[in-house]
Amino acid sequence: MSTFNAELTPKRRFLRVVHLLFLAFLAIQALAPAYSKIRGKTDLLVADAPLYAIIFIAAIELALILVSIFAKKNSALTLFADLASVVYILFIAWTLATAKFNVLREQLFPPPGIILRQAVQDARPLLGHISASLLLIVKGYFLAAIIAIPAGLAFGSSERFGTAATMVSKFIGSIPPVVYIPYGIALLPAFKTVSAMVIFLASFWPILGGTMSGVMLIDKPIINSARVLGVPKISMLWHVTLHAALPQILLGAQQALTVSFILLTSAEMIAAKSGLGFYVKNYSDLGNYTRTIVGVLVIGVVISLVFFAFNKLQKFLLRWK
Amino acid sequence: MTNKIEIKNLTVNYVERGVNNTALDGVSLTVKEGQFISIVGSSGCGKSTLLSVLEGLLPPSEGEALIDGVPITGPGPERGVVFQQYSLFPWMTARANVLFGIRQAKRGISHKDARLLADEYLGKVGLLDAAGRYPSRLSGGMQQRVAIARALAMDSDILLMDEPFGAVDAKNRTILQELLLELWQNEAERKTVVFITHDLDEAIFLSDRIILLTDSPGRVYRDIKVDFPRPRYRDELMGSLIYDDFRRELFADFFGDKNRAAENDGVII
Ligand SMILES: Nc1ncnc2c1ncn2[C@@H]1O[C@H](COP(=O)(O)OP(=O)(O)O)[C@@H](O)[C@H]1O
Ligand SMILES: [Mg+2]
Repeated sequence: MSTFNAELTPKRRFLRVVHLLFLAFLAIQALAPAYSKIRGKTDLLVADAPLYAIIFIAAIELALILVSIFAKKNSALTLFADLASVVYILFIAWTLATAKFNVLREQLFPPPGIILRQAVQDARPLLGHISASLLLIVKGYFLAAIIAIPAGLAFGSSERFGTAATMVSKFIGSIPPVVYIPYGIALLPAFKTVSAMVIFLASFWPILGGTMSGVMLIDKPIINSARVLGVPKISMLWHVTLHAALPQILLGAQQALTVSFILLTSAEMIAAKSGLGFYVKNYSDLGNYTRTIVGVLVIGVVISLVFFAFNKLQKFLLRWK
Repeated sequence: MTNKIEIKNLTVNYVERGVNNTALDGVSLTVKEGQFISIVGSSGCGKSTLLSVLEGLLPPSEGEALIDGVPITGPGPERGVVFQQYSLFPWMTARANVLFGIRQAKRGISHKDARLLADEYLGKVGLLDAAGRYPSRLSGGMQQRVAIARALAMDSDILLMDEPFGAVDAKNRTILQELLLELWQNEAERKTVVFITHDLDEAIFLSDRIILLTDSPGRVYRDIKVDFPRPRYRDELMGSLIYDDFRRELFADFFGDKNRAAENDGVII
């Protein structure tokens, strides 16, 4: 067989490297002796833990293979291969530094298998914490959006009032909302109300500011086009102003969402009895760093998923751009 | 024929940072029902200002503007408007834009009738296939077609057009001019059209009358009848000797005497 046909494109070569990384991870798990075995220690390392790491990585590998076969868009495959390579390298380095050579302190840095195992074991309580956290976000954030967007549309419609209100909202918005937490706790007895209120306050100003600037930035010709059609006032706000300002509104809403999560986790770490922030704080207080890391990672995953959904929604709403 | 539009001694001043700028100075003009008139002048002479008054977006500083003998107090559905750009709402598809216009003009029209009407006019401008597209996915010429379809579907008596083909390439511009003429001629009741352009050939081809404005402040400098018979065909018209003569005279008027007239008013160009 001639090697002529087998010439590799850079992309195929990279894909091959990613698959090799996967095999390297398996080899390390299987072949390199565990540090604990050498020392004769078995207390911290649970025997079936490496299995969780292997299953996790194998699932990613399987997904990569499926994507490389079925993905319609080349960019999707590239992105997925990049991600997989990063995860593989991370897992290899992490495994070597912990389970295999014990470079890091084992109480603070458990190997990946242990963490995954803990996450699976805690799946049920974690789901409870996730929904407790998300419920607070939904309450505070959506309430803020429902009030801030109409208010912004109304304020922004008057140039003078809009300018003044923008300055006020910039001033209040510049205060790091974390400072509201102690005040909120003093003001309201129930933690849940306090958190929702703090998230509300933190989300309100970016959304209001975004909406007002969106309204004030609308191109004059667009307004004139609507006016010559004889669009009535209310219909104008709904069919024209809201849509024209939507890009800026969504920018404000995205900023508000970021701040909301920062505040949520801070508040939960200070005063809650449930939620992901509480999970992390509680277990780090108890010295259970496996669960602490589980909590941190789950927070990362949840926030990433929420922003993924937000970006999809944004793309859909602005599909006309 | 009755007077559809009457402009009497219209003056418009813009005040910017305390400085007074007279854009139009004592313009008087009457447009008969069903007439197609073009307003021609160099840029900045007040053409858009004049149209804004007719659109009802700008109140006169002095004088008055009447439609059917009634002073204009604001925009109204009896006037359809096409701007040079941004006539359409970018977040609505071509069809939704036309539908939106129809609903403003004919309140209470059923959803089905509105949709039929929208598609009828999108078909007339040759864009039925593109009805589901957003303006950002349409060329400049196609956007203007949609804007024209909307204005016509609204079935207003008056069509106000502010350099509607000014941002369209030369080839598409001639196509659009012919389309506009055809649609206008085939309407059961011809609309009164006020068409703004700085393209003299466009003005001759389309209009019954051409109003030349002086440079700023805008005043009526010439009011010229264009008597070429309709329906007009571009090749036939532009190949004829009388067209050449007419055009030469008009250009001489526009580029020669007008400057002198303006200079006499103490305006340096
Ligand atoms: N909104 C405005 N504010 C102040 N001055 C304006 C405004 N619109 C137009 N002008 C001025 O009025 C004059 C006529 O403008 P315009 O009617 O747009 O001219 P044209 O459409 O013929 O190019 C110009 O000198 C222009 O600078
Ligand atoms: Mg203009």
